[in-house]
Amino acid sequence: MTPSDQTVASPDVAGGSILSCENITKSFLGVNALNGATFDVPKNKITALIGPNGAGKTTLVNILSGAMKSDSGTTHLGSVDVTNWESYKIARMGLMRTFQLSRELGGLTVLENLLVAPKVQAGESLFNIFFRPRLLRREEQQNIERATEILATYGLYELRDNRARELSGGQKKLLEISRGVMAAPTVFLLDEPMAGVNPALIERIGGYILDMKRQGMTVLMVEHNLNVVEKICDFVIVLAEGKTLATGRLSELRANPEVVQAYLGEVISASTTN
Amino acid sequence: MSAFWFYVFTLVFFFFDYFILAMGLNIQYGETGILNFAYIGFVAVGAYMTGVAGMPSAGLSGQHYILGLNLPFPINLIIGGLSASVLAFFIALITLRRLRTDYLAMVLISLSLVLYDISNNYIPLFNGADGLYNVPEPFANALKLTTNSFVPFFAAVTGVVALIMWYFMSRITRSPLGRTFRAIRDDPTVASALGKGVFRYQLTSMLIGSFYAGVGGGLIIQFGGSFNPTAWLPGETFVIFAVIIVGGVGNNIGMIVGALLVETLLIHLPALLPAIPGHPGLIENFDAMVIGILLMVMLWFRPQGMVPERIRRSRFTLPEFATSGASAAVMTSGPAITADEAPGAEPSLQAEQEDAQ
Repeated sequence: MTPSDQTVASPDVAGGSILSCENITKSFLGVNALNGATFDVPKNKITALIGPNGAGKTTLVNILSGAMKSDSGTTHLGSVDVTNWESYKIARMGLMRTFQLSRELGGLTVLENLLVAPKVQAGESLFNIFFRPRLLRREEQQNIERATEILATYGLYELRDNRARELSGGQKKLLEISRGVMAAPTVFLLDEPMAGVNPALIERIGGYILDMKRQGMTVLMVEHNLNVVEKICDFVIVLAEGKTLATGRLSELRANPEVVQAYLGEVISASTTN
Repeated sequence: MSAFWFYVFTLVFFFFDYFILAMGLNIQYGETGILNFAYIGFVAVGAYMTGVAGMPSAGLSGQHYILGLNLPFPINLIIGGLSASVLAFFIALITLRRLRTDYLAMVLISLSLVLYDISNNYIPLFNGADGLYNVPEPFANALKLTTNSFVPFFAAVTGVVALIMWYFMSRITRSPLGRTFRAIRDDPTVASALGKGVFRYQLTSMLIGSFYAGVGGGLIIQFGGSFNPTAWLPGETFVIFAVIIVGGVGNNIGMIVGALLVETLLIHLPALLPAIPGHPGLIENFDAMVIGILLMVMLWFRPQGMVPERIRRSRFTLPEFATSGASAAVMTSGPAITADEAPGAEPSLQAEQEDAQ
């Protein structure tokens, strides 16, 4: 066992792991972005994925969600091996994601962005469009009511008929999160949901994430804001140089010299400088 | 019927026909984002197959073509539409899965050139550059229509076909399927992350659009009574692109405006004008010049087209938002991280945090 391996503690997965990856590697033109990342994400918990810039966090989110294929390693969603599945198949298994830079469906209205989200819709079949119009109307009405309620919860109700491309940066973040919630995922990957938003909105987004947990979702979020991580996350996975450096509660990790050297020290010194 | 009315009904025919063609390209490009630069190839396939399905066996006619099923209108027209969809199915299988928009566009332009070369040179199948002629005029015998009376009659038939196809297209574009098409157009990566099998939906859009292309082509061959490969040059695709860009990408009403402005008024009306003395080729080249200028002007000053894509407004209102004050409150508030629910707020954890710092 290498010294690095000794520092990787098993997360508290007493409730079971719902998402796991093992020895994930990925390189771009010979540069290793991921170099054997291995961890379990506990069910119905909020887990933070932290690490210095370039540690491979977003690459990992892309691989877990199927947007990118790994070079080697396996990923499991529940008991199903979803390694290198296409992203839409993984989404249909119940895993949703947001993007580091918000990606709204700009030509659609805010409400339509949410209405696209339900994974299986009768109205997406040509047969149903022409031969089962009542089913379509009923389903659409239910989806509209639910989407409108979610928009109201996320403070986007008044903007529901605006094109999504017209929203501000913070509103786009909220739209992306609410769109994911509309899909009722079992696992929700949030890639820096607090990045570039004002402190008041950070508080609100934190509250929404806690709501997700209450609703039974499992959240894995990439986040640099350690105050938020401290407040809302049950577990933390530290990624450095493409590998899992450690896992555990943030308070435990603060006592881990390797983590402090690789990431926390950097953050603390950066905040001191600022 | 005077020559004037003959021209007018010819223009009416092309207006309705290009409305159909524009709806087909619009669902592919305007709704789903597929840059189908081979669209005219599907129109040509529909035209050819409609023709040979409606013509009698080639026999001793001196022409070379397949089928010769002697089927009546509109069965031959439906065969033409379905044939274009079958071609689209195989092309989509090969191209859509692997290629991004820009590369897909290049491959489709190449495909359009290949289709043109094959139809222009392969005699056993397409009769080469001679094309097809003596294509039966629908109902001409049964209704004892003359050449003059056939033109307004078939313009009206095309109008009815266009209205039926508009109805079906509107049902599709207004449905959740149309919404998913537009989601894929806006960002296929996001659509995929939302569980939408992008290829499947793009394939569906290609099949629908190509059916419209085939029907539009089938109507043209029956209107003119002949099929000439030179009428289906790859550049013709850009005329249909001009129709939807000028009309308004993503809006079926815009297709009516585009078909009227571009195809009817700018392409066919000048072509019917007498030649200008001393400049015999000017009128023939007028359309290409005007379309080029019109496209530049539209893309610069009004990229959304004459009739922009409409905003689909919600008619559902939450009861608690009936008063304006309530909505303002929710706009600025929401759940926040409270001390008793946040794991980080546990006293022991806070103490450890302070120690670590």
